[in-house]
Parts: sequence; structure tokens; C-alpha cells
Amino acid sequence: MQSESARMASAAEARFRIDAPNSKPRAIKIIALDAPAERVVKRLAQAQWNQASFFTASAFAGAPAKGKDFSMTGWLSDVAGRTKSLIDEVASADLVVMVATAGENAMAAAIIGEAASAKRINTTGLIIGAGASDEALSKTLAQLRPWSLMLVIASADDYIEDMLVALRA
Amino acid sequence: MLRKEQNDLLTQTAPGTPMGELFRRSWQPVLLSDELPENECPPVRVKILSERLLAFRDSEGRLGLIDEFCAHRGVSLWFGRNEEAGLRCPYHGWKYDVTGQCIDVPSEPAESGYCRKIKLKSYPLIEKGGVLWAYLGPPDKRPPEPAYEFATVPAKQRFVSKRLQESNWLQAMEGGIDSSHVSFLHRGDLHNDPLFKGAKGNQYNLGDARPVFEVVESAGGLYIGARRNAENGHYYWRITPWVMPAFTMIAPRGNHSVHGHFWVPIDDENCWTWSFDYHPVRELTAAEVQAMRDGKGIHVTYVPGSFRPSANKDNDYMMDRKAQKEGRYYSGIAGIAMQDASLQESMGPIIDRSKENLVSTDNGIIMARHRLMRAAKALAEKGITPPGVDPEHQKIRSVAIVLPADVPYKEGAKEALIAKPGVAPASV
Repeated sequence: MQSESARMASAAEARFRIDAPNSKPRAIKIIALDAPAERVVKRLAQAQWNQASFFTASAFAGAPAKGKDFSMTGWLSDVAGRTKSLIDEVASADLVVMVATAGENAMAAAIIGEAASAKRINTTGLIIGAGASDEALSKTLAQLRPWSLMLVIASADDYIEDMLVALRA
Repeated sequence: MLRKEQNDLLTQTAPGTPMGELFRRSWQPVLLSDELPENECPPVRVKILSERLLAFRDSEGRLGLIDEFCAHRGVSLWFGRNEEAGLRCPYHGWKYDVTGQCIDVPSEPAESGYCRKIKLKSYPLIEKGGVLWAYLGPPDKRPPEPAYEFATVPAKQRFVSKRLQESNWLQAMEGGIDSSHVSFLHRGDLHNDPLFKGAKGNQYNLGDARPVFEVVESAGGLYIGARRNAENGHYYWRITPWVMPAFTMIAPRGNHSVHGHFWVPIDDENCWTWSFDYHPVRELTAAEVQAMRDGKGIHVTYVPGSFRPSANKDNDYMMDRKAQKEGRYYSGIAGIAMQDASLQESMGPIIDRSKENLVSTDNGIIMARHRLMRAAKALAEKGITPPGVDPEHQKIRSVAIVLPADVPYKEGAKEALIAKPGVAPASV
């Protein structure tokens, strides 16, 4: 169109892309669901992040008491061991990332997923250890799948860092 | 988001770059067989991975891919005469065989052996599946021939095309593994394109615009599964395999042919998008082949005499705002291939990934970058052969399948993901 002062992208035109921020930091809550994942998450927490915070869900990783259902009134621990309210943390998140290890118990995914679903917060499930047996992987997968809008099975835990950087965590 | 140094690493493929070396470890498609149709036909200029080369088929039918320029005065051998088992420079008559060996320097006495001291760089060029493939890596690391299924089926079961894409290879390839765009960008074509319409799977696609994704590492790259709700507590899965560095297949639809792509860097600002359709167990019909020639499905029509799409950035890809408003073309651009290419080229020749804002559904892209960076580093530092080079990694298929909700797709589709001669693809 004659009135337009820019043409379809070229190397020369690309130089004129505006150099200004186009987003605000998003709050990403990374929650370890089991003990091996907790070690990974605690290591990640040592790095510099924009607005990522790291937790463990080991406080409610076990099965509920007989005759009791899971409840969203669960609790998380931050990496310093302080107790945090699950609902409060999920409510203030833009994305919840649940980190699990293939073959480990990921029952906490149901509670966290339920809370995220209630608050309409996106969830990503990340399973480390694709080298585990199919059976072990399936068990963890079955626990995460109903509560993850995105599921990633990674062979090595260094993927998590790359993923968080990519998401501007 | 990628930091600048990561973006440079992934997008630069000239000789000596980490990603360039990774590409050089596997066979790359460089020409359609039809571009060198007969012995002593005209040579063809080839630029690949930022190297200018010349391909020719000599009078004996041997294929050559050599340095484009004569060792004497640097003339382009594209002007050369393809005659008597070699390519002769028209300037002073120096002649080269398919290995780049100079076999005649007319100004020097033949007995002097002068010509034996002149040799142009050359690379192996082989023909398979209607495609000429080049290997630009170290001779002692030359892998077995490509084993992608489309290149192994009889010619009548296959159609292959290529088109110039005026962007870096990575942003084009990333479009191929970005399954979440299909429900938007290509939604009109699921109803209308003769190579897509009519499949039951289309109903699942259109009925559930928010698929759930699962990304799983494979030996050669990734499987990216997109899950949608089906009947009776089942899931409809579309599984896209990616084989490193730049091969993908699109999940099939009904009994339509299966299709996929390669993205091969020409230089850092252009690439060839290779598009293939094939059916593992039947010949393509005349109507299907005609539709592909007419630019349907993942193919395009061309500016006459070239492989540049007729809809290109100089004509704003023939944007049709009326069709956009009416929903016939969601972006206003006709054809699946150019719907993708127009948006990918609009990012600029090499997108600045420090400005992007990826979301959770982009994990397929994030994982692909992660694996590419890891493999490039392992090759550069430890000489480890990259995933995707092993022919077994290439014998894969895309899959469309309905599975019970509790079955992981990698298990439920385990057999269907492997290419097996004479076995029909898993498709819905």
C-alpha cells in the first residue's frame, strides 16, 4: 500500500524494530513434588531470577488420612524451609511448574493442580529422568497428566534451567 | 527468550560455527533430482550452509558437487561446458571432474602433470528418493545414506517440492514443531484443502482449540504430542516427530498422504523449505499429485522459472483482507505453506529472540533449542555424533491416534511411530 512507510521485513528493515520492553515480569512458581526433585529445585533457586520462586510440596506428598480427601488447604515450603500457603502462592502466580522425578510419588500434583485450576492458573508438569523404566515413568505421568496443561519429559535436569530462562522466569 | 550468544549459536551455520558443524554431520537435501535431469545437463549453482558450490551430472551420469569457482582466475564454473566426463571452464579451458580434480589445463603440457596439482573442494552428492543429498562433513565421519521413509518408497507413492524461504532456518523449523498454531492459522484449510479435508481427526481439531501438549525426548530428537478430547474418555493424539537438526513430519489425516519438511540453511538469512508427501502403502492419485503441483497442502506455486513462491514478501503474500474477515483464511494469506512462511519471514531474516515472550505451550520449541545447543556443544567439545545422524533415528513416522486416557502416547503409539515398509500409517 502506497501510504505505508515500511515494507515487509528485510535485514535493513529489521534494524528499525523498536527497542523497548514489551512485557512485565511474570510470577512463576516452581514446586518440587518429591525428594530428588527438591534437590534440583533448591539448586536452581541459587541462581538469579526475575520473578521465579521455588518451593517443595513434600509436606503433603503422602497419602491423605483414611477417609479424607485431598484438600486445597495444603502447605508448601520455600527453599529456606518456611511454610507458605498453597492457595496464596498459586493465586499470585502466572504459571505453576511442577517438577517430579520418574518413579517417585507425585500425588501432590492433584492438590496443586486443583488449586491452580480453581484460580485459572496455567500449569506445566516436568518429569525428570526419561531414562527410568516405562512403568516408573507411566506411574508419575498418570499423576501429573490430569493437572498439567503442558507436560515435558526431560532426560536431564539441566532442561529446567533452560526452560525457566526461556520463559523469562 | 534466548540470549544473543545463544541465538547466534543456533542461527549461524557457516563453516566453523558449532551449528554449521552439526548440520555438516548429516546428509542434507540440496536439489531435486529433476534439477539435474540427464547426463551433461547444465550445472546448477548451490548455496548451502553459506558455501557456494556447483552441482553437475557428467556425461557418465556421475554426480558432482564442487567449489563454484575455477582455481585459475576465480570464474564461476556455472558458465562451464559439461562435456566428456568433466566440466570445462569457458575462460581458459581448465577442466574438472566430479571430485573437483582438475583433469586438463590446456596451456600446460599434458606431460607436465600440472593439472594433477589443482583440485577444487568437493563433497559427496548422492541421489535417493527423487532428491540429491550432499554431505559436507569430515570424510571419515560420513554417515550411511538417509533412511527417511519418504525417500525409500517407490516414486509413484511420493511427491517432493522445495521453496525458497527468506528467513533463517531456525524460525522456519520452529514453526514446524509449534503445534499450537494449527487451530488458528490453518483452521480454514482443514475444511477446504483437498489434501486435508474429510478426515475424522479434523473434527477433533476444530472441536477443541486448546490442546494439551506433551513433549518427550526421542533418540533422534523429540516427539511432540498434542492431545484433544475424543469420545468415551479417550484422547485424540497428534504426534509430531522432530529429527535433529531440521526434519519434521506432520501427523496424518484420514487416508490422505503423510507430509513433512526439512529446513536447510542456504545462508544465515535464507533457507530451503523442503516439503514432501508420501503414502507408505499406496500410490498417490493423479488428483493428489495435481493438487500438490497446484500449491495445495504444504506445497506452493512459484514465480515462473524459480523456486520462489508466487506469494512472497514483494507482493505482501497476496494478502486478502476480505478472506481474512470472512474466515476463509485466518491470516488473509492463501495456502498452508505460505500462511506459515509469511509469518515466519515477517519476523525479519533472523529474529531477535531476546525480545520474545514464550509461554508454556512453547515447550516443544524450548526443548528443541535445548537439545540443539547441547548437541552442538557435545560435538564441538567432545566430538560426539549428534542425534539424528543414525539412520535408525530417521525411520520414524508421525501419528494420529485415539488412545485410552491413561495410556502414555509414547507407549500407545510405540509401534506406529516406527516406519515399517508396507505397513499403513496410524491415522484418524
